[in-house]
Amino acid sequence: MVFARRGGIGRYYDVNGWLFVAPALGLIALFMVYPILWSLWMSFQAGRGMMMKFVGFGNIIRLWNDPVFLKALTNTMTYFVVQVPIMIVLALILASLLNNPRLVGRGIFRTAIFLPCVTSLVAYSVLFKGMFAIDGIVNSTLQAIGIVSSPIPWLTHPFWAKTLVIIAITWRWTGYNMIFYLAALQNIDKSIYEVARIDGVPAWARFTHITIPLLKPVILFTTVISTIGTLQLFDEVYNLTEGKGGPSNATLTLSLYIYNLTFRFMPNFGYAATVSYVIVVLVAVLAFLQFFAARERDR
Amino acid sequence: MDNLVRAYAPRVAALALAGVSFLAVSAAEAKEITIWCWDPNFNVAIMKEAGARYTKTHPDITFNIVDFAKTDVEQKLQTGLASGTADALPDIVLIEDYGAQKYLQSFPGAFAPLSGTVDYSGFAPYKVEVMTLDGQVYGMPFDSGVTGLYYRKDYLEQAGFKPEDMQNLTWDRFIEIGQQVEAKTGKKMMGLDPNDAGLVRIIMQSAGQWYFDKEGKANITGNAALKAALETVGKIMSANIYKPAAGWSDWVGTFTSGDVATVVTGVWITGTVKAQPDQAGKWGVAPIPALSIDGATHASNLGGSSWYVLESSEEKAESIDFLNEIYGKDIDFYQKILQDRGAVGSLLAARGGAAYEAADPFFGGEKVWQNFSDWLAKVPSVNYGIFTNEADTAVTAQLPALTQGTPVDEVLKAIDAEISGQIQ
Repeated sequence: MVFARRGGIGRYYDVNGWLFVAPALGLIALFMVYPILWSLWMSFQAGRGMMMKFVGFGNIIRLWNDPVFLKALTNTMTYFVVQVPIMIVLALILASLLNNPRLVGRGIFRTAIFLPCVTSLVAYSVLFKGMFAIDGIVNSTLQAIGIVSSPIPWLTHPFWAKTLVIIAITWRWTGYNMIFYLAALQNIDKSIYEVARIDGVPAWARFTHITIPLLKPVILFTTVISTIGTLQLFDEVYNLTEGKGGPSNATLTLSLYIYNLTFRFMPNFGYAATVSYVIVVLVAVLAFLQFFAARERDR
Repeated sequence: MDNLVRAYAPRVAALALAGVSFLAVSAAEAKEITIWCWDPNFNVAIMKEAGARYTKTHPDITFNIVDFAKTDVEQKLQTGLASGTADALPDIVLIEDYGAQKYLQSFPGAFAPLSGTVDYSGFAPYKVEVMTLDGQVYGMPFDSGVTGLYYRKDYLEQAGFKPEDMQNLTWDRFIEIGQQVEAKTGKKMMGLDPNDAGLVRIIMQSAGQWYFDKEGKANITGNAALKAALETVGKIMSANIYKPAAGWSDWVGTFTSGDVATVVTGVWITGTVKAQPDQAGKWGVAPIPALSIDGATHASNLGGSSWYVLESSEEKAESIDFLNEIYGKDIDFYQKILQDRGAVGSLLAARGGAAYEAADPFFGGEKVWQNFSDWLAKVPSVNYGIFTNEADTAVTAQLPALTQGTPVDEVLKAIDAEISGQIQ
């Protein structure tokens, strides 16, 4: 009879410990490890529906010659490069404004800005679709106050459709990021700001030289989760464009392309799995770069 | 205690026996056929009518008709088939003809062959062809998507056109009329969703071509009908005689709200047009405009779908019998769905009935069904192949380039490149 030994390598042989974590491990293996490995295996196969066969790196070669994939990749990276910085900066500014203890009704403002991110993705997309229709409220307002002379084709012109997606996701997610910044701001020692104020540091310099550096870990965190979110962007585009990523594939994202390859086109589960691994690799690379960039500045 | 048991035991036994026999009886009687389809004004309403007819002679069968959007039906079907579990699937599902071969070829064994039960010689051959694979015929042919030009008589009259002027148009003439309609009434000629290649498909098929040739190979750069179709859509867009629509319901809204003067689409839209009682008497129907190229006709097809029975269905036999009894034989049923919903079925024997002769008051007393029936006989037959969705996406991707003045030949090349990247 082996008695449980404490500490050292011995605890790895403790049967009781393993029994305690076994249910969790089993579930993780069944619902995480198995699907991941299976999808990896699938990405080396191709074919129509259930008629799959092994193609080696055939799917990866196909990626390079697939104009739709390249278009989806370009669109996704455009959203990422344009939208994430806008949203992060906006969230930072809003957070520091709403952190001002002298601001009247800041609870209401905070709630109002955070509210979009508790609404349903589908509901708000449908609402945006109505608001930005050719004779919707946005166009009629813009025309009434004389900003535009003819209605903007938000949903039927490639450029404006892309702009609309960016507006939609900025509306939805800025408040979410702002909450992280607000929480972090409240952990900054107020005496730092007091010293700065006594030393005559102007407000803008306090923001750039105190707030931003002290928020760096949180900024890094929000950037990474926003990167992951943007690369997986699906609901907004699907609902705004009835699942097509149009007009002219201008709003097509990688996730929507995976959906099309699986459900709308001749089903090719293997190739769809390959495209989803592209997202995995991109997220990993971008997150690594962001950590790397943040660490460099620490020196 | 003993007394109690003695007193209650027979009652408990009787109750249990009653329960068991009740279960047995209900298992033998209540059979529910689950059906997935889309469009409440058309397929769903028609299936309800069919179910009601069948229940009259088979009171033991009940129907559960589930109304989804078309893309949701396709997605749920594809997920269910791929997962390999039959529990999530219905007994009968509606599949659009463009996608039939895709499902049959990529999920072998998933659908029940009906050859042997259904007499397919009674149906329009092109409908049977799209559901045939390796000598077996699957599915029950349903509606045809024969196209027509629906027009608002009142708007055209204001612009100075009579119904005679709408007959046998060319697309160029159609665009000219559209410009005059807008100048005189302020109404656009048609609704157009730049994300939907339906109009391109209608025009292309009216001249006897498709994205694929008879062998199923891509047929793009040398396709005169596709080229002319793209040129026509480009002209409509640059003449700006259309109201842009984003998506299906938006497109339907362009004519139900009275914002446009015409609708060019399949006959199945009739139910939706007639769903606006305040527009009764204002609509007319003419053949669609023709291209000015060889093989051009005034007849085409858009959509059209058929019913398929899942091989895994527990009510497979009942489902097949139901489809065969109603959709395969019931001439009176076809008359009713034609008059109520504008469903032009593909059962040839149903073509001659009184409903086809009838004048429709909604269309000012025109014999529209007779017309659709005549045009149906003239629809050029093409091979839809298995990649229509991919080709459609490639075409819509190039529509903006077309309006920005890119030469059509270059647009065709770009479409060809995208399609060849997609079909493998």
